[in-house]
Amino acid sequence: MNSATIVPKNDKTEMSDPLSQLEWPFHSQSKPPLPAANKAPISMETMVELRGVTKRFGSMTAVDAVDLQIRKGEFLTLLGPSGCGKTTLLRMLAGFEIPTSGEILLEGKDVSGVPPYRRNVNQVFQSYAIFPHLSVADNIAFGLKMRHVPRAERERRVEEALDLVSLKGFGKRKPHELSGGQRQRVAFARALVCQPKVLLLDEPFSALDAKLRHAMQLEVKHLQRQLGITFVFVTHDQEEALIMSDRIAVINHGKIDQLGDATDIYHAPASAFTANFIGEANLLPSEVIHKNGVSAQVRLAEGLELNVRTSAIKEGSVQALLSVRPEKIYITKNKPMKENAFKAVIEEEVFRGAMDELRLRVAGKLELMAMVANESAHERAWHKGDIVYCAIHTDDVVVVEQK
Amino acid sequence: MKRLRILLASLATLVAAVQLHAAKEVNLFGWSEYVPQAVLDKFTAETGIKVNYETYASNEEMLSKLLGGAAQYDLIQPTDYVIEALRAKGKLEVIDFKNVPNFKNIAKEYTNLPHDPEQKYSVPYMVGTVGIVINTEKIKEPIAGLNDVFSGKYKGRIVTLNDNRELLTWAMRTLDLDINKVTPEAIAKSRPILSKWLPQIKLYDSDSPKTALLNGDVDIGIVWSGEAAILFQENKKFAYVLPKEGAHLWIDSLAIPKGAPHKAAAEQFINFILRPEISALISEAFPYTNPNTEARKLLTPEQLANPASYPGAAKLETFRDIGKAAASVDKLITDLKGGS
Amino acid sequence: MTAIADPHITSAGKRQPGTTGWLLLSPMLLWLGLFVVAPTAILFVYSFCQRDELGQVVFEFTWENYARIADPVYLNILLRSIWYAGLTTAICLVVGYPVAYYIGRAPAQRRSWLLLLVMIPFWISFLLRTYAWISLLKAEGPVSALLQWAHLIATPLEILYTPTAVMIGLVYTYLPFMILPIFTSAEKLDNSLIEASLDLGAGPWRTLSNIIIPLTKPGIFAGVLLVFVPSIGMFAVTDLMGGARVPMIGNVIQNQFGQARDWPFGAALGITFLVLFVIAFWFLHERGEERR
Repeated sequence: MNSATIVPKNDKTEMSDPLSQLEWPFHSQSKPPLPAANKAPISMETMVELRGVTKRFGSMTAVDAVDLQIRKGEFLTLLGPSGCGKTTLLRMLAGFEIPTSGEILLEGKDVSGVPPYRRNVNQVFQSYAIFPHLSVADNIAFGLKMRHVPRAERERRVEEALDLVSLKGFGKRKPHELSGGQRQRVAFARALVCQPKVLLLDEPFSALDAKLRHAMQLEVKHLQRQLGITFVFVTHDQEEALIMSDRIAVINHGKIDQLGDATDIYHAPASAFTANFIGEANLLPSEVIHKNGVSAQVRLAEGLELNVRTSAIKEGSVQALLSVRPEKIYITKNKPMKENAFKAVIEEEVFRGAMDELRLRVAGKLELMAMVANESAHERAWHKGDIVYCAIHTDDVVVVEQK
Repeated sequence: MKRLRILLASLATLVAAVQLHAAKEVNLFGWSEYVPQAVLDKFTAETGIKVNYETYASNEEMLSKLLGGAAQYDLIQPTDYVIEALRAKGKLEVIDFKNVPNFKNIAKEYTNLPHDPEQKYSVPYMVGTVGIVINTEKIKEPIAGLNDVFSGKYKGRIVTLNDNRELLTWAMRTLDLDINKVTPEAIAKSRPILSKWLPQIKLYDSDSPKTALLNGDVDIGIVWSGEAAILFQENKKFAYVLPKEGAHLWIDSLAIPKGAPHKAAAEQFINFILRPEISALISEAFPYTNPNTEARKLLTPEQLANPASYPGAAKLETFRDIGKAAASVDKLITDLKGGS
Repeated sequence: MTAIADPHITSAGKRQPGTTGWLLLSPMLLWLGLFVVAPTAILFVYSFCQRDELGQVVFEFTWENYARIADPVYLNILLRSIWYAGLTTAICLVVGYPVAYYIGRAPAQRRSWLLLLVMIPFWISFLLRTYAWISLLKAEGPVSALLQWAHLIATPLEILYTPTAVMIGLVYTYLPFMILPIFTSAEKLDNSLIEASLDLGAGPWRTLSNIIIPLTKPGIFAGVLLVFVPSIGMFAVTDLMGGARVPMIGNVIQNQFGQARDWPFGAALGITFLVLFVIAFWFLHERGEERR
């Protein structure tokens, strides 16, 4: 997990903690933030509304009573592991599947049973689904032709669309003469030229190599901002979701586990599933032992005591499942003058590129995973077997489940 | 040394065995379903000569295999006009009738016919005609000749042989033309008659015209007498008459191709076939007209009563080879069929 | 055949085979040489020869065989054969396409069962199946009885030994040859292409005409060839089910090699037919390439 690629969206940031200022060797932002001028404001108007949408295939429930409001002009991502129902949800939005029950409203009108060719919604397919027998221009013109757009206008709009996806001059090419990335641009142009109310994207980057994928992610994000079209994006790649989305709906077992913006989802996961699925997390079961003022004490299974925010513990809760992000565990050589600081042994150090993963054992029992900025080969601070101190800020202990 | 001698001795025995074996066989290339296996077995049991029976379904097939020269046959079973052509080309051996004393059993009416005027090359095996078979349950009016068949009343109820020469011949007979003089004038004269006749025909079938008659798809046929005889055996409602205008007599004979390796055995086989009791055995299996007078005496009254096997008297004529005129006949019938 | 069925023939496919390639190809080349090239060459030579009374080929040069073909009698038959074969192909396409498409899009389990059903007739001799049709369609047969019982016809069925029966026989015989290649194309058709078309506003019919049919064209092309070519030369069905009433070019050729004993003329008909077919194929193929 490379936190440097998260695009900060609001001013409220946990980075203001003096401790982290002190201990955290910050990377410079490797990618420029999105130009603010391109940002079309997301309206609060609803574009798509799902009301109790359920889809069953035989005895299997793929989508289970989902309620969701998608706002006009927003970039919403349906994120989840394979088989969670996100693709079925998308296919119901496209019209390829009809909900078993519930309603799908597009601008307030029920479209649940409307076939795909009568919905002003277009999709970018995972395989791109470029028509192999048609030229690039004919592929892009297809939707316009089906809508009986006059020839002259059609040609103009195709040219514009080619320009938009930086494929000017490629109109006469056949799909097999294009690279994977170019084909994908054609797929985008073909969908966007129809000026859909909602653009659906089904894991469009999964076939691209890592570098190209990242470039496309940013480019598509820019495109969406520039056009102001509502995007519904399906992916199982949490990093991609964090990079691109205004809001993320984390889907698990056909239900929305959590809905929120990237930072909410990342920093305040509402469930063990989300905490584990988005980024990495140390999940720690605990017992509530004391509650007063701003901080409360919990006791971990291994006997260690930890301070958490009192506000995170509900009235009457006796047990709490805690989540601590690995990069929120601060490692020092000397004992810090802080709460939640423990002595630990580095059991393993795993090089992960931008980050180093440290496997720690606290008090001979508790296993924790921490992430630190990687170290230069000639000057390493951490070694296997080192005795260190690890500290966790009270605010970084997130209670994901309690009872 | 001793070993070598043994080896040589056994080799010599082997060669002798092969030679002996060679003398004790005869290669018969005949029509399929024409020679009962029992007859072949009896011949082998009596003479020790093995019969290799290879079959064909048409004279043309036999000709192409025989003339292709790939196989050595001792006996073939050609129809009259084929004998004429083979004889003209010098492709047949003269039969030594001293070795075939039983030839005396063959009725005179089937010998010295135009295809073998001196009766030197062939011995009649079975004969037959092409005549009219009538389902008397469906057709109540008397049918005596070709003009009755094609009066127009039985349009779509007729099956005929799928044979261009036969079709032309029928028309020529109603015009009283010599059926073996296929001239452009004869074709021109026959054309209008055939153009009236052919649309009345429901189907053409040379292989099994009896099927359509049995199935009830047609009620009248102009077919081989053998087919009609089988129909009569199936059901007595199928009558057979020879057209009063005259009928085609065909004679399937046994002949020995030029250079046959076992000519003596072949003649022995011919003589065997001509024995009355053997010939009667063949008639029992296949109800064609038996040309063997002595054999006919052994047939049951029921066999003799089959009108297709032994029809009443009529003007009978064999076909002569018409050579290249066949191309004109082919064109005429192809054209008329195409127009229907 | 696979080359025809592959919609993505690229320049790579036109590469010259290397030594290993030639070696691998050699059985096929040998087969082609022995059983296609050599017989065709023999036919070609025969077509300029004459025949004697026995029907033996006489190696004396003549144009006469080709002159005979130019006769309207034989030209008409050729035209009629093309018309019958064309009609057969069209019916097979219309009937076979939906079947092939359905099988191609069916779930894998059901697909293999359905394919099996299409193949089963091949396990039975062609002649037997044709005789079965004759039994079914004859005037006193079950179809006739059923239709009379249902009062759909008043008199016994008069379909056997008519052009209609020939057409039934031809379509029946060649339908699998249309279904199988189209099935192969339909099976390969990516479902997302159909969804993309629907998604872009094309209804089912326009998706069929704009996407599905063009993308299964290799299968259609192969199917049309596999039906048209053999049905134009078919003689067994015309003889058995058509009562030999309507001669097709196949019957005429068969007759030359059989009863008429005129091999040179038969050879000339065969060669003419082959040349016409090669021209037609080349023309269709070129057009197909252009469109691509």
